[in-house]
Amino acid sequence: MPRAENPKALASLQQQLKEKMQAWPLRVTLSSGTCGQASGSLDVLNALKTHINDAGLRDKVHLRVTGCHGFCQHEPLLILEPLNVLYCRVTPADAGEIVSESLVKRNVIERLLFHDPVSGKTVRQEADLPFFAKQDRDLMGQNRVIDPLDIGEYIASGGYSALAKVLTSMSPDEVLDEITSSRLRGRGGGGYPTGRKWEQCRAAPGTEHYVICNADEGDPGAYMDRGLLEGNPHAVLEGMIIGAYAIGSRQGYVYVRNEYPLAVHHTRRAVEQAKEYGLLGEAILGADFSFDVSVVRGGGAFVCGESTALMASLEGKVGEPRAKDVHTVEKGYLDQPTNLNNVETWANVPKIILNGPSWFAAKGTENSKGTKIFALTGQVKNTGLVEVEMGTTLREIIFDIGGGPRNGNTIKAVQTGGPSGGCLPVSQFDLPVDFDALTEAGSMMGSGGMVVMDESACMVDVAKYFLNFLQDESCGKCVPCRVGINRMLEILTDFTEGRGTTEQLDLLEDLAWTVSVGSLCALGKTAPNPVLSTLRYFRNEYESHINDKRCPAGVCRALVHYTIDTEACTQCGACAEACPHDAISNEDEYVINDELCRKCGICQEACPADAIRKA
Amino acid sequence: MPKMVTITVDGASIRTPEGTSVLLAALEAGICIPNLCYMPDVTPLGACRVCIVEVVQNGRSKMTASCTLEAEEGMVILAHSEAVLRARRNIVELLLAEAPNSRAIQDLAARVGVERVRYPMRNKDCVLCGRCVRACDEVWQSKSLGFVGRGRNRHVALPFNVRPEFCKRCNACIDLCPMTITPCPGPMTEGAVCGLCASQLTMTENAPDTCVWCELGRGFQCARWQLRGVLDPA
Repeated sequence: MPRAENPKALASLQQQLKEKMQAWPLRVTLSSGTCGQASGSLDVLNALKTHINDAGLRDKVHLRVTGCHGFCQHEPLLILEPLNVLYCRVTPADAGEIVSESLVKRNVIERLLFHDPVSGKTVRQEADLPFFAKQDRDLMGQNRVIDPLDIGEYIASGGYSALAKVLTSMSPDEVLDEITSSRLRGRGGGGYPTGRKWEQCRAAPGTEHYVICNADEGDPGAYMDRGLLEGNPHAVLEGMIIGAYAIGSRQGYVYVRNEYPLAVHHTRRAVEQAKEYGLLGEAILGADFSFDVSVVRGGGAFVCGESTALMASLEGKVGEPRAKDVHTVEKGYLDQPTNLNNVETWANVPKIILNGPSWFAAKGTENSKGTKIFALTGQVKNTGLVEVEMGTTLREIIFDIGGGPRNGNTIKAVQTGGPSGGCLPVSQFDLPVDFDALTEAGSMMGSGGMVVMDESACMVDVAKYFLNFLQDESCGKCVPCRVGINRMLEILTDFTEGRGTTEQLDLLEDLAWTVSVGSLCALGKTAPNPVLSTLRYFRNEYESHINDKRCPAGVCRALVHYTIDTEACTQCGACAEACPHDAISNEDEYVINDELCRKCGICQEACPADAIRKA
Repeated sequence: MPKMVTITVDGASIRTPEGTSVLLAALEAGICIPNLCYMPDVTPLGACRVCIVEVVQNGRSKMTASCTLEAEEGMVILAHSEAVLRARRNIVELLLAEAPNSRAIQDLAARVGVERVRYPMRNKDCVLCGRCVRACDEVWQSKSLGFVGRGRNRHVALPFNVRPEFCKRCNACIDLCPMTITPCPGPMTEGAVCGLCASQLTMTENAPDTCVWCELGRGFQCARWQLRGVLDPA
């Protein structure tokens, strides 16, 4: 493969690749990230290949396999150009028809188009999707035009020109200035100004400076980093190379969790290809600047997403956080100045360099600039990766982009920021997504998980779920986190099993405060957030668990009772037959024995007369 | 000669070499900051969080363990603010509920003013302070002990649970363990603190933030007693 010896060679390579790409008469794009593959995109790919070969179109069709486009709900997606049509939920069985109808005859297959459940309309083009309409897809949008395993496509779409610009016309200080004045803030959750972090790292004395990309994403319900790293690994690499140039680093690491095999594979391939093209390694693009990147797989611990734990893990030690009174920009990996940023932060860097800091700073709110990707999941019609301008309200994301509640239920809350974040009620839905606004409301931007919950969710149970997760994922080093979370969980379990008292509620608040101030690292410090935020906005649910021994959502099994409405009961006996625990007996009429009942709800499903009530 | 810096702890100016642990500097100056997992001359772990203090910087205060905090010029420390005392009490209460039968933990609880335990008692024989692990590793260069597992499964273990050949049988792990001290004869009622040694606290009434070489500190092997070379428990 041609090695780009200097920026000029890169530019001419870019031109060649672009022309080659446009020369294809037919272009087919299949999304095949982890979400696409889970929906069977690999089978679709094989079927498409077979049919394209059979139809003799092999030399005419450019079949591009990309990462996730964001619309995960309707994967696998297929985009045909120049017909400019989007097919959703494509199956291998559709492949033959797609080739014969759409590729050969250029007809649109109505059946495969997206039917909007909100407006009832049929959408033909990708650009008309209501899901994408309110989004600002600076980062995610690129996934659609790039085959992550082919550096050529990234270069053809303008990739690495930011690096060329930096190496030809900018000094490290100028790069720092651009990033600082763009006011980019870290996307990993903390929201620390990226420019300031770089400056501090550059200024810190040390024999070697390191840059690290933190791709150890582990929040339940969040997968933005996976989407980016799988779909566009070169953007992250390019950001890292520019960062390393500004900071004065010669070695970088991508710490990616091993549970993301596709991301690991794509990143490794990207590093190899970048080296082949002379974009990584010695004398990058002929400039007096060398930088190398190694891909390191995580060991499966959530806490390793914490910067000091990540660096300990990178050093080969047990992944445990240390006190952060001395920052990692001064003493990080191997006690040297280390700059760690999140995947999304790195991916933003080339865009800022190319379009200028004012372009970036023009987007967003007063103190949160640019766009942010959220993983919208839970009880909404459209789930997927949503990239919006900072300052978009939660309501717009959940109702306009997400399409509102599923199954006609009412939305009750949204959980943002993963286990470190909190639950916000509908009354807070007009909050803009902004680092400070969300923190003030008792939640957190976090890395960008957004789990929408409807009335079927019990908030005490939700808090319990997150504590359970954190209890398992805490490293166990410090007392407030290890014992405190365990005790909080103990109290919540008492609530959900009907043993709760009002004193315990005060104790819970006192304990939550202790854990948040006393813990060693951010995992512990933010661990009480799910409890504190649900206590703040859904205190009535806690109170009904404690005082009335009742779970309003009917989730907490110990507090749920099934009874048979004797008036509606037709004495058919279907419930008694269905009950796996023999808890229903016929004594003149059918009754449920509460002691034997395990609250599985099978009887309710079996009853043809709807006579079984849950209370 | 290391650079000397001045830090302020509870209003008292302390001159100390730069980078010294704030806890050590305060203890040497006679200020009482109760501590459990800290041992002088061994890498601080910051695990028990009992020595928590407030650091005031640029008008903002943050809580952190003083053992892992390195002294810097002009640092302002509050070791006995209301929030610190509350957090410290709550943390020791958590420890006490884990291991109510340990004399060291009972003494520590009496020292920081825990009056009752609001959690169901457990009877663990380790609070994971890591004194044994670090003494074995750093003082005796043996590395026969280590932490195993994560979260609630974390425990101290020998390599593959077999006493290794390189164990020097120095018994430092046992001497330093807050769990091996002979239990005091106080009542072990559920939810209550022993309280027999509370009389020790009368000495501190007039100067609650000053070290008075209390016997309680000897009980939980306070680093100030360790500094004096008195490692043997009373």
